[in-house]
Amino acid sequence: MRRSRPRSIPIAGLLLLALGVLFAHWYRQSVVLAQPREGVPLSVYSRQAYYSVPLMQLNGQSYVGLVELLEPLGTVDARIDGKKLKLNFVAPGSRELEVQFQDGKDKGKLKGDNIKLPANFSIQNGRGFIPLSAVSEVLARTLSQQIRLNPAALRLFIGDVGEHFTLDLRNGTPSKLFISFGVPVNPTIAADSNHIRFTFRKDAVLPTVDQASYNDPLITSAQFTEHDGIAELDITGTGALLANIADGGRTFVVTGGPTIPPQVAQQMPPPDLHIPSQPTEGLRRPYTGPRFLVIIDPAHGGPDVGAAITPDIAEKDLVLTLARRLQRELSNQHVFSSLLRNSDIAISLDQRAISANAARPALYVALHAANTGHGVHVFTSMVDASSLATRDFLPWETAQAAYLDTSSIAAGSIAAELETRKLQNSLRPASLRPTNNIAAPAIAVEIAPPGDNVPDIASAAYLDQVAQSIAAGIVAVRNKIPEVRP
Amino acid sequence: MTRPILIMFLVLLLVAGGLGIYAYHLKNRVVTEEQRLARQQSIVLPPSTGPTTSVTFFVPSDAEGILHRSQEAIALPEERSERLRAILRALFARYPQTAPATPNTAGSDLRDVFLFGNDTAVVDASAAFADSRPSGVLAEDLTVASIVATLNANNPQIVRVKILVDGKERETLAGHADLRRFYTAGEVDTFAKDAK
Repeated sequence: MRRSRPRSIPIAGLLLLALGVLFAHWYRQSVVLAQPREGVPLSVYSRQAYYSVPLMQLNGQSYVGLVELLEPLGTVDARIDGKKLKLNFVAPGSRELEVQFQDGKDKGKLKGDNIKLPANFSIQNGRGFIPLSAVSEVLARTLSQQIRLNPAALRLFIGDVGEHFTLDLRNGTPSKLFISFGVPVNPTIAADSNHIRFTFRKDAVLPTVDQASYNDPLITSAQFTEHDGIAELDITGTGALLANIADGGRTFVVTGGPTIPPQVAQQMPPPDLHIPSQPTEGLRRPYTGPRFLVIIDPAHGGPDVGAAITPDIAEKDLVLTLARRLQRELSNQHVFSSLLRNSDIAISLDQRAISANAARPALYVALHAANTGHGVHVFTSMVDASSLATRDFLPWETAQAAYLDTSSIAAGSIAAELETRKLQNSLRPASLRPTNNIAAPAIAVEIAPPGDNVPDIASAAYLDQVAQSIAAGIVAVRNKIPEVRP
Repeated sequence: MTRPILIMFLVLLLVAGGLGIYAYHLKNRVVTEEQRLARQQSIVLPPSTGPTTSVTFFVPSDAEGILHRSQEAIALPEERSERLRAILRALFARYPQTAPATPNTAGSDLRDVFLFGNDTAVVDASAAFADSRPSGVLAEDLTVASIVATLNANNPQIVRVKILVDGKERETLAGHADLRRFYTAGEVDTFAKDAK
């Protein structure tokens, strides 16, 4: 007699399978999809502050932390009650209001009224998240202000914040493009062979025109784009471009810069490039920019804070302040200079060298700061000049070797000026990037506290003294440093 | 509900419970493993017994911006790379303490020293060591010079030194000194000559 198979086995198999599916779903929801999206946060511009909020990917959608979004705008008191997030929010000068959402539900309460989200609210690790697509409605009803969200560009404007600009091309020799703002702005400016790019991260710059074309021999177009939490204004020309800052940062004047043959700008410019004395028409444009250009490179920036001078002073901020003072001092001495970084933005070491080399400066000055030791240290590159076999091609890692003599002259002059001002100083070689990669005379200056009190390093008087010394040192040897090639 | 199904439910409940206990055990094992690795990373000092040898150290003084030269007799192993390893560990132990040890900086200072030919040494330092050094152009150059000068002083054949961090090439030591290149004894000679 044939024995029948127990019915419980297939049922148990099915139950096990269901359990496995449930576990896989839970793992995907709680572990895999709850990972924050790498990189780009949401940039938020409001009257109170500029801030950025990290995004989290849940169920294939971008989510934003509700507390992180509201905290810079007022006082937030949030608590998790079971599966519910209860949040009390008080904006400055406003009455307290209550917001309530439940994990896994798309309905919530805001000021006692119902609100429906386009996707479910989520609680992850004790923090409440709303879908990015719901941010406009939630904020508009919470703050009673106009909200403008560009979800593709990850830029959020609260209230009437937002700065438009005007473009005014004035033909001449050379032509000048005036970019004017209503308030001072602080973009990062980067140039390559025939472009100049203004990158706005903290400034709430809004588009006036997306694209403008010009029938001009020097400046041909301007294009405005928003993406990844930033705005960019690209100016394209037929030759190298430079930007001058005017009107306290309200106006930027783009005009012709040092001309670089494109094939050279892409690589390391050899020091003795054989340029025909009568350049072929169309290959080279008449030189219109400054002949003696100093590139100032405030080190670090963005997430790379450099040394923590004190708990409140980061190296990246201190050197930017010093860089601006140095630019002002050089300008007073009629020396043209340009900052590689003029805001808190990260630039890689290679990118710094590429940008500096493309500008073909007469001198490159890197600025650093430290909280150990005293005084000002002036460095030249620790590359072996004897390794220079040819001047026709410079290895990237030791490009500075061809310019060590001139670099040492500039460093010595700055050390002498520091001595004149009775500032403790030293002059020595250092292996420091990107100075090693600069195909031009290059030095690095590191400031340390003037005495035993470390915060004195940031005093205006000390920074002014250092900036004046560097500027005076550069001016003193100006005639010994070859000008940028026309 | 029939009896077999009830039994299967109970079995499944047991399985679910077992899985939970297993997950908890796995979590604990990760924590234990991390603690074991942290213990392994404690500083290993050179042997304190056996015949001693006079060793020259160049120790950075970040405040003065110079190297301090000192000579001490310490016990060293016979094998060449083991000797250099012991010398560097002894050197690192003499570095000024810049901050109280934290879980991130309390790890081992030196992972290994490799020799290539007679003249080249590759020093593999730990990330904890690199991160614990003060950030700054001069401070980091002093650290590099200290390593190169100490190796060269105790083994003059070594004239080229490369520094790795956690077995990998790192762009800078702590934001400044270039670690992508080989340093030569000649390049740090100025520091060694100025040493007090």
